[in-house]
Parts: sequence; C-alpha cells; structure tokens
Amino acid sequence: MGILGGGKRSAPPVATTAAACSELRSAYHDCFNRWYSDKFSKGEWHKEECTAQWNNYRSCLQEHLEDKHLRKILLESQNSDASSKTD
Amino acid sequence: MVLTYTQEHVYEHPWDRVTSAAWRKFTDPDTPTVLSHILDVHTLSRHLDPVHGVFSSTRSITVRSPSLPFPLCRLSPSPTILCLETSFVDAPCRSMEIVSKNASLKGLIEVEEKSSYRPHHQRPEQWTTFRQETSIRCKPLVSVASALAEHVEHMCAERFRQNSVKGREIIERICKYLESEAANNKLE
Repeated sequence: MGILGGGKRSAPPVATTAAACSELRSAYHDCFNRWYSDKFSKGEWHKEECTAQWNNYRSCLQEHLEDKHLRKILLESQNSDASSKTD
Repeated sequence: MVLTYTQEHVYEHPWDRVTSAAWRKFTDPDTPTVLSHILDVHTLSRHLDPVHGVFSSTRSITVRSPSLPFPLCRLSPSPTILCLETSFVDAPCRSMEIVSKNASLKGLIEVEEKSSYRPHHQRPEQWTTFRQETSIRCKPLVSVASALAEHVEHMCAERFRQNSVKGREIIERICKYLESEAANNKLE
C-alpha cells in the first residue's frame, strides 16, 4: 500500500514488531512466492503448500506479536483455518 | 469530506507474472531502499479454497507516519501507522483484488485503497491492467478547522501518488526479473 509515507523528516529507527520472527517469515515468503508463481497462478491450485513454514511462522507471531488488534486477527484466522493442516 | 481518486496502469507482462510481483513488492530485498516508509510486513492469515482456486490473505503493514501539520501532530503520538491489507486471488478468473485500510489513527483519518489486477482487455495473454481507487477522509474533529483537514487530505493524496509511482516501478523491476528467470529456466 502506498500509504502515508515519504515524509522528509528523518525519524529515529523504529523497533519493528515481531523482529524475532523475521527468519521464519523469510522462509515462509520464499516458499509462498515459489508456490504462487510456479503453481497457483498457472492453474495448479488444488494442493496447498508451505503449510509447515506457515505454521512455524504463525507460532512465532503468536508468541511475539504485541499489537492486540493484530493478535486478534491472527487467532481468528487460526480458528477458521483448520483445513490447512497437511503439507 | 472525502477525497477520492483513481489510477490505472498497464503492465506489459502477463497476469500471473504481475500478480507474482505484486505479492513480492513489500518483501523484495531491494524494496526498503525505495519504499523507506514501509517498516514491517507480516502475514496474519491465509486461506486456500482448493476447489475454486481462490486464495486469500491478510497482511499487516507498518508504515512510518507522516509529519502532520500543527496541531494534528499532537494527536498522533505514535511514530508508526498500522495498515491491514486483504487480498483475494481468483486464479480461474485471473483476478486479484487488494483492499488496504489504516487500522490505527482511525479517529483522525481513514484511508482506503482498492486495487485490482486483471488481464488487459485487448491483450489478455500478454498484458495486465492495474486499477486503484483511493479514498481519504479526514475526520471532522471539533478542534480541527475544515481548511486544515482539507490540507491534510491533499497532503496525504500527494504522498500516495508519489508512493504509487514508486510501487509501480518496483513491480516493473520484479516482473523483469521474473521474466529473465523464466527464460533461463527454459534454456536449462
């Protein structure tokens, strides 16, 4: 989203949320990007992949995500996402 | 008072490549130097409907807040703004829709961006049309004069336009990278 940025002031470095999960996030994104580019967008959408990477990343977020609003979305998605347990 | 504007752009790349690039836009290693206001991106939910070929996902995007004019800056103590982005991709229909909204500062300003990527109507196999509608609404606070609210809306709109151009440049660059990667894979 091209939102609200580009201000000229030089803000101090802001601690990013859940920085502890950045490696697990990269592993998930790498897997997701390959799956989307090579399979899903080309017609192979019948099998979900990257669920192991996603579960590891999500567990980490559950532990480290500080924002209450985001935690709520994360937990709600877990309840409605029971179908994606296989890799 | 709502300020709304739309933008359209044609990518001379096929739909699958452009939407792949759109997913990578915020997570590409080179993005932080171009979109320096993006501080953090996390995926909060994902869901695949394997029967209908529909994938949806929600991501949080933390951005550096803009420098607001006095007295609004006093109302925004946080140096960051949190946004939520929900994406739906219908693979059989070759349609990607993205809605982004700010989740913090909602008492002050509400921004909504609706974007879509679809095959170009004249060259559906080669090109992709991107459309984006942005609406910016400054909340009518008693303490804020309407002229100031209008000023903030226009200021935000200008930033959005600048960042949209940068975002398009990133997607063009990732598309070229994916194109050359696909060409190399064919040669191997």
